[in-house]
Amino acid sequence: MSETYPQGRRLNGKGVRDRNRPVRVVIASFASCFGCQLQITNMEQHLMDVLGQFELCYWQLTSSDPMPESFDVAVVEGAVTTEEAEKQLRELRERAKALIAIGACATTAGIPGMAAKGFYEHPGSVYEHVPQACGAMISPRPLSAIVDVDFEVRCCPVDPYDFTIMLQRALYGSNKLATTRMLCSDCKRNETSCFFGEGQLCMGLVTSAGCGARCVNLGRPCQGCAGISPHANLASARKSCERYGVSVSDFDEKLEMFNQTNQAMHEAE
Amino acid sequence: MMLREPARVVEVNPLGNMTTPLTGEELMANNPYRPWPARITSITDLTPTEKLFEFRLIDERIREAFRHEPGQFVELSLFGVGEAPISISSSPSKRGFIELCVRRAGRFTEALHAMQCGDIVGIRGPFGRGFPFERMKHHDILLVAGGLGIAPLRSLINNIHDERSEFGKVTIIYGSRSPSEVMFRDQFEMWRHRKDFDLYLTVDHPDDTWDGEVGLVTKPFEHLELDARHTYGAVCGPPVMYRFVIDEMRKKGIEYDHIYCSFERHMKCGMGKCGHCQIGHQYVCIDGPVFNYWEAKNIQGSM
Amino acid sequence: MLYRVIDAEERDALVSAFMQEYEVVAPVKRGRGYVFDVIESPDEIAYDYSTTTASLKKYLLPPRETLMTFNAVDNCITEHAECIPPRVIFGAHACDINAINRLDQVFRDGRYPDPYYTARREATLVVGMSCMPTDDCFCHLWDADEARFGYDLFLHDIGGRYLVSISSVEAANILEAACNPRVATDEDRSDFRQATRTRQLSFNQNIPDIQDVAMLMDAFHKDEFWDELGGRCLSCSACAAVCPTCFCFDLQDRLSPDGTQGERYRVWDACTSPQFAEVAGGHNFRPDGRERVRHRMYHKLNGFLANYDRMLCVGCGRCVSACKADINPIRVLEFFEEKGSEHDA
Repeated sequence: MSETYPQGRRLNGKGVRDRNRPVRVVIASFASCFGCQLQITNMEQHLMDVLGQFELCYWQLTSSDPMPESFDVAVVEGAVTTEEAEKQLRELRERAKALIAIGACATTAGIPGMAAKGFYEHPGSVYEHVPQACGAMISPRPLSAIVDVDFEVRCCPVDPYDFTIMLQRALYGSNKLATTRMLCSDCKRNETSCFFGEGQLCMGLVTSAGCGARCVNLGRPCQGCAGISPHANLASARKSCERYGVSVSDFDEKLEMFNQTNQAMHEAE
Repeated sequence: MMLREPARVVEVNPLGNMTTPLTGEELMANNPYRPWPARITSITDLTPTEKLFEFRLIDERIREAFRHEPGQFVELSLFGVGEAPISISSSPSKRGFIELCVRRAGRFTEALHAMQCGDIVGIRGPFGRGFPFERMKHHDILLVAGGLGIAPLRSLINNIHDERSEFGKVTIIYGSRSPSEVMFRDQFEMWRHRKDFDLYLTVDHPDDTWDGEVGLVTKPFEHLELDARHTYGAVCGPPVMYRFVIDEMRKKGIEYDHIYCSFERHMKCGMGKCGHCQIGHQYVCIDGPVFNYWEAKNIQGSM
Repeated sequence: MLYRVIDAEERDALVSAFMQEYEVVAPVKRGRGYVFDVIESPDEIAYDYSTTTASLKKYLLPPRETLMTFNAVDNCITEHAECIPPRVIFGAHACDINAINRLDQVFRDGRYPDPYYTARREATLVVGMSCMPTDDCFCHLWDADEARFGYDLFLHDIGGRYLVSISSVEAANILEAACNPRVATDEDRSDFRQATRTRQLSFNQNIPDIQDVAMLMDAFHKDEFWDELGGRCLSCSACAAVCPTCFCFDLQDRLSPDGTQGERYRVWDACTSPQFAEVAGGHNFRPDGRERVRHRMYHKLNGFLANYDRMLCVGCGRCVSACKADINPIRVLEFFEEKGSEHDA
């Protein structure tokens, strides 16, 4: 398991910015609800400011024009669930100087990823004769399982400002590290009461920080949509559950929602 | 509610109206987080992964106030990218310019390597405790560098060369992985030729052109003769190198507190606050980055 | 030190007087715990609060603070001035005042005074209040159960009235104007002594008192205990977020949405955070929770002492409840206690 999240493996801190011409960006989508793309438009008053920094030459959500042959940055939403998507992703990676995965589906396989367990057996249990269309389907996986990803914007859906920051890192370069610590310290900063004190399950114990504990601030335990951190201590978290009277099996079940394809989860069992 | 006035205000540009020359202390006293604009005046490719950058602070008062010791570092800012600590590679005697030798190794340095001559960056510092230059005078000197460790040592080497008559025998052992990674070779060879220094260049992986030594940086110790009681040692290189080189220096009889080593950590503030460079109870940024071996031995987790 | 006595009923008048001229922050109830927050009325104050979830340091070292702004096109620093409101922290316990004194040593009195911290500190009055220990409190072990300096007023509860230690003119004037401070009587003094004794006797006796802990931190630096303790670290750094003396931070740049302007800010960071000791190129000097927890405890119970002659732990007990993995200095003290009794046996 990698110790850290993608930090611009190919770019490694340098921006793709070219002093002589505008950077060209494409936004593409695989298996997802399109919600993360929609979130980008939710920037409203800042949207034009962000778009003004580059030439947006393809956006699946807003136009049916074909994708151009060459570009600098590929922003990709969604999990890979078909052979066609896998091929398309490899092509995107080949052409792009920087590839940014946005949202839980692209970074953890997310909700599509929940089907990964026993994926190839499922159709047979539903259909007597498995339809041909199922043949092209592959077990859902995040982008990083197939290609090098330069940057990841986590959560379901993404925060549009997190997206902007990550995009700017790809454009101009940055020495910032994507955080891998767990969420709990954010709740302490926010001074919200811990759900564990009430015997309630919260996934903050093993989930990467970065969202600022948005759900907890709204009175709801963390669902873990940022995915478990590469530094998550699942064994210790299970003991914490026991210590605070929270069901360990509930914890394990909840882990499956956003981490079904995460190797760490299966190693630790 | 009528709040008491005036509220306290923190200024970022406190030096706007000053007309008298600044001292280094004054430079720091106002807002030590504020980087001063500097222009890249030259970029030299040293190896495929290392470049030597020369900077000139734009404000004349700041430029005049900037003085460093060999072994100290600056915090270099690329606005928007961030800040990083980089050891100064030029001699204090080279006034008006600051040279930094930078390997393309991480996010910040990758961005720096993409910069061009004439670009503007920010510099604050110098920070840290360097080599005890004055105390080293009138002694023999043994300098051992591995790879990029030559960067901070070059400041010391150049400074010693500036005041060559103040020092006894000066020996430089410089190990690299391969001949293409040897930096400042022409300069060092010239000084060797002029009998200023004894020089041992060694590489792990030689090629057809290599006529120097082959092997680890400790290899030249086999035939090294020195007057240990009157010798100061200085070591800088990758973390794994320290123990082996220091062992050799100890075997030769150099005293614990006459062996100096420079530590690499990520000093983010440079002022003993942010905590990133801590080893045991010491802050590398203010207590180091140069420690003598006795001090280093007394730091939990240093080696 | 100058002492005066005021009646308990005068307390609200004192708060109101401060509110005339300052932003007043005080302990208030939130959720199942307490927090320091800006108050609108003295009625909001939970005078008998136990311990707040997080500490007071947020008023001196905000979790996120802009240090400067810059123009990212021209690469120059732009004008930016941080205005700090005059503020009163009302109701700080002794441990928290001792924690501020430690922050002062690093950020105000050191070789590089931090202009942001110093400005906030100078714009802040501190009014302390005596308290009774909870089961997690161990401030007395580090001599932090009494604040000797670092406050403007300190209110010692002596039953129906307060013995007030007065240490600044600014606060004395307000006290004088808002209350009727009187000279202490023999009875007041005797009640003060009684109250102090009661507090001293109320600490949880199960927490071992290990006075040579700093030396032991060195001696047992390679003990397996650290693998066990740090092996269960969740790497969330909640410990540092609630700690009144943890002051580590990170410096970062951020651009405006259009990419033309930027700001350099600092955010709280923690040595228990996985990437804290990472250097350029990706090498991490403390890649594992075991090393990180040991490093944190070492700095708290030894390292700071070596440089500043006092512990960096004030025994407030916040990390005891914040850490879901049960890692805290009490566990370290218990380990040393165990080592001592092994020898006895």
